[in-house]
Amino acid sequence: MLNLLDLKLGRDLRALKSQALAVALVMACGLAMMIMTRSLIQSLDDARANYYEKHRFAEVFAELKRAPESLRQQIAVLPGVAAVETGIEVSVTLDLPNLAVPASGLINAVPERRPVVLNQLYLRRGRLLEGAGTGEVLVSEAFAEANALGPGDEIAAILNGRRQELRVVGIVLAPQYVFEARPGSALPDNQTFGIFWMREQELAEAFNLQGAFNEVAVSLAPGASEPEVIAALDRLLKPYGGLGAYGRSEHPSDIRVDDEIRVLEGLSFGFPLVFLSVAAFMTHSVMSRQIALQREQIAILKAFGFANRTIAWHFIKFALVIVVVGTALGTAGGFALGRQLVDMYHLFFRFPVLAFEPATGAIVGSLVASSAAALLGVASAVRKVVRLSPAQAMRPEPPASFRPALAERLGLARYLAVSVRMALRNIERKPWQAGFTCVALAMATGILIIPNAFRDGVRHILDFQWDTVQRQTATVSLVEPGPLRAAHDFAQLPGVIHTEPFRTVLVEMAAGHRSRRLAMHGLVNQGDLNRVIGLDGRPLTVRGRGLIISEALGETLGIQPGDTVTIRVLQGKRREVTLPVGGFSQDFAGIASFMELGALNRLLGEGDQISGAFMSVAGGQWEAFLRALKETPQAAGVVIKDAMRQSFRQTTAESIGLIQVIYSTFATVVAFGIVYNSARIALSERSRELATLRVLGFSRSDVGRVLVGELVLLAAVALPLGLWLGSGMAGLLIASINTETVRLPLVLSSSNYAYATLVIVLATTLSAWVACRKLHQLDLVGALKAAE
Amino acid sequence: MAASPPPDPPLVVARDLTKTYGSGHAAVQALRGVDLDLPAGELVVLLGASGSGKSTLLNLIGGLDQPTHGELLYRGWDVAQADEAGLTAYRRDVVGFVFQFYNLIASLTARENIALITEVSRRPMSPDEALDLVGLTNRADHFPAQLSGGEQQRVAIARAIAKRPELLLCDEPTGALDVKTGMLVLEAIQRINRDIGTLTLVITHNAVLAEMADRVFTMSDGRLELARVNSHPRPVQELSW
Ligand SMILES: Nc1ncnc2c1ncn2[C@@H]1O[C@H](COP(=O)(O)OP(=O)(O)O)[C@@H](O)[C@H]1O
Ligand SMILES: [Mg+2]
Repeated sequence: MLNLLDLKLGRDLRALKSQALAVALVMACGLAMMIMTRSLIQSLDDARANYYEKHRFAEVFAELKRAPESLRQQIAVLPGVAAVETGIEVSVTLDLPNLAVPASGLINAVPERRPVVLNQLYLRRGRLLEGAGTGEVLVSEAFAEANALGPGDEIAAILNGRRQELRVVGIVLAPQYVFEARPGSALPDNQTFGIFWMREQELAEAFNLQGAFNEVAVSLAPGASEPEVIAALDRLLKPYGGLGAYGRSEHPSDIRVDDEIRVLEGLSFGFPLVFLSVAAFMTHSVMSRQIALQREQIAILKAFGFANRTIAWHFIKFALVIVVVGTALGTAGGFALGRQLVDMYHLFFRFPVLAFEPATGAIVGSLVASSAAALLGVASAVRKVVRLSPAQAMRPEPPASFRPALAERLGLARYLAVSVRMALRNIERKPWQAGFTCVALAMATGILIIPNAFRDGVRHILDFQWDTVQRQTATVSLVEPGPLRAAHDFAQLPGVIHTEPFRTVLVEMAAGHRSRRLAMHGLVNQGDLNRVIGLDGRPLTVRGRGLIISEALGETLGIQPGDTVTIRVLQGKRREVTLPVGGFSQDFAGIASFMELGALNRLLGEGDQISGAFMSVAGGQWEAFLRALKETPQAAGVVIKDAMRQSFRQTTAESIGLIQVIYSTFATVVAFGIVYNSARIALSERSRELATLRVLGFSRSDVGRVLVGELVLLAAVALPLGLWLGSGMAGLLIASINTETVRLPLVLSSSNYAYATLVIVLATTLSAWVACRKLHQLDLVGALKAAE
Repeated sequence: MAASPPPDPPLVVARDLTKTYGSGHAAVQALRGVDLDLPAGELVVLLGASGSGKSTLLNLIGGLDQPTHGELLYRGWDVAQADEAGLTAYRRDVVGFVFQFYNLIASLTARENIALITEVSRRPMSPDEALDLVGLTNRADHFPAQLSGGEQQRVAIARAIAKRPELLLCDEPTGALDVKTGMLVLEAIQRINRDIGTLTLVITHNAVLAEMADRVFTMSDGRLELARVNSHPRPVQELSW
């Protein structure tokens, strides 16, 4: 007997295939997102954990001016320290034959007389710096790829003012450079900034650092307290120009991986939840309808002695088939998309291996979540089946009770066409169903808003950040802080229209018990090139002792404009001041702080010094400018605005773009699914009524209007609601994925609203059209036979 | 087999009307060559066993379905050859239907159910006038769910006749009603036939009803036969069940 029921199940599914598929697709979209994001999280997490463990990534880091090698012993015996690695890291300017721009980077020392215990290198190609030798260099993979360098290639480096030819022998990765960017920059610029390794002896000689080190990394003993080790290290390094020790949570590379995972976590929850709720609602409406249609059949089954349980299970199986199809599609989709995104992570993150790892837990979770959604949807419908008494079900259902709609009760009846009245009364008779449809439509509209808000945020950054904020063509930094006069020298370079000097100094900013190490930028008062823009979009002026910090920093430190912060300079005289925060700036790249150049210099007490200059350069003389710059020994590096913009386009913008396309596609699928499903349900519920109208002499288009009227009415209510809802959801989601390193502004453009509206209108029209086409198949004669 | 020649040209004429459902082995011959002439204004009763083809014939005459073969003329216009738009107009302007299950629009009141039709017809009576004809003036603002079965059927009749159709087709109008209520409904049908002279075709199982008709046909296995012609049809009230 059960086989017969299964046969019926097959037939029912076939009859409802397009609706069942619509539900399964909505489910699949939600699950694909969940599986994709959870798998990516797992892939990143595992790749990182493996890498860190195998290559012994340190846990606490510190840079300093210079300390004797003997200090290493003292560090090693600090309580909580398990292993110590000391080394040399210096800035370098490079001259690559086929690169017009001067490149820069950091060179690290590879010790020759002792093994490396922490932050060990991973060799991708060529060889490491084994044995004796000179003029050999290892190059980080990102830089090597961007500049097509391989073992055997020659590069020229300016080491402490002296030019030296170096031969590339190996391409490597290191766990402290998973994310490789200029210090303080949120964006990779792999063509002009790289990481290099040379033999310690050679490097120390060039920089007069023999028998000394300027950076430390330590790993912690089990159970050790990181803050205590940091404090102990700070005390120990202070006399040697320590720049403040920090843990992994402030490590510029690790924090980026963390942030990415945090973004994925944000995405892995909200979206799927919305999609699955919609799927639950759709399951509910499809199943309720199915059960209403099969009233008599159910009654007969019951009369024949089928147990309630058997019949209920029959309908639950219907829902579970949808779940299985949805989960299968979702898993396949999630894997395919996840693989694509993993490939893209190569742009940001350099791991020895970053393989896509399916999160099996997420698949199980999806199955559970979608089953829960489907069961939730089917529960009340099945309850109806159980309650149905056979005798009652064999009688035709009495006509449904209606009453005049609210609008009519308010006396507006004569303004309403009959079809509108029918629609209004229908809606009022089943307010829950109408409400759910409305909410589902609003959600469909809303989720269309989110991905495009991402897109608009990115566009805003592309235009705003690099046209409104950064109006300089290039930023040139000095090898080390120099006199104000250096800016005038730069002004003499060919094509330079205007220069503005700046000073950058590493500080620790603290408020209460929260603190952050970061660069403080000293800018000229009312500067015209690199401007600081307030939250209202207007430029802020730095003057007096006023301090401006980015909103992200304000959040990190938990302060508001007007609050005071303690600033400890980590260089030079190491002064400490307490200053009020004058205002918040907006900055897509996270934490930042600004002061007036003179005020910063007074604070530092080292005279009028600058770290570099912003300059605008005439387009026609760009080549000449770069050539001259390459010959200028004081210029340590140059950041070219267009290159940064390009980098942003290729990395952040591209990944957000891909996510936007995926989500936008999914949202569109959901929008169509919901509207189509609603139209089909309406058609099924009203087919008898519509057939009657046809028999009574109404044309197909008349009847179509009656059918579509209700849907249009609901869509008209849902649309503005959805736009509002979507704006809120976009704000929430962007806030939840905004991290310290990348900040996306919430931009809600009219084109975004227009697109969402268009999709919903299109979905409604198309679904209405499909439903109206089905009117051709309406069985006029059948409608006159027994009630449904 | 053929009807006796009527004095006026008949309103509806069928010749060799055939209807086959399905094809091949599964084919069902519902009508096997029906010839029929229906004069204007008469009350015609169609009797026959279940499955004999009564509804099929009525649906063809009402323009709900098309014959497989044969001719079906309304005032000389070939219903069988009409297109979708032609059939829609025919149903809207010429035919009034009354069904076994009333088929009222549940979301509209009695008056609105009628107004729905009168708003699109050419020379309708007012909905209230139609309700008056079936004795339901006091139920005008009730929704179908608030009406008894008989009342619903009378509203359905009012809806069918409000446009003053030339043809009123009733398929087992009392099928779902008890005897007493059925009588009320039939009275209404007979009264309307007398008062406005609509050609009325009533399908029923109940042979007693033959007494109320001007003309009685019987149907069996897809073939139609004229059973009798009453020169003096009896009022419904006088019939004994
Ligand atoms: N849509 C249909 N498809 C197939 N067979 C049908 C259909 N409608 C009616 N029939 C068959 O045609 C015959 C006549 O049916 P019908 O006209 O409804 O009879 P009646 O109204 O006299 O009970 C029956 O055998 C019935 O099964
Ligand atoms: Mg019948």
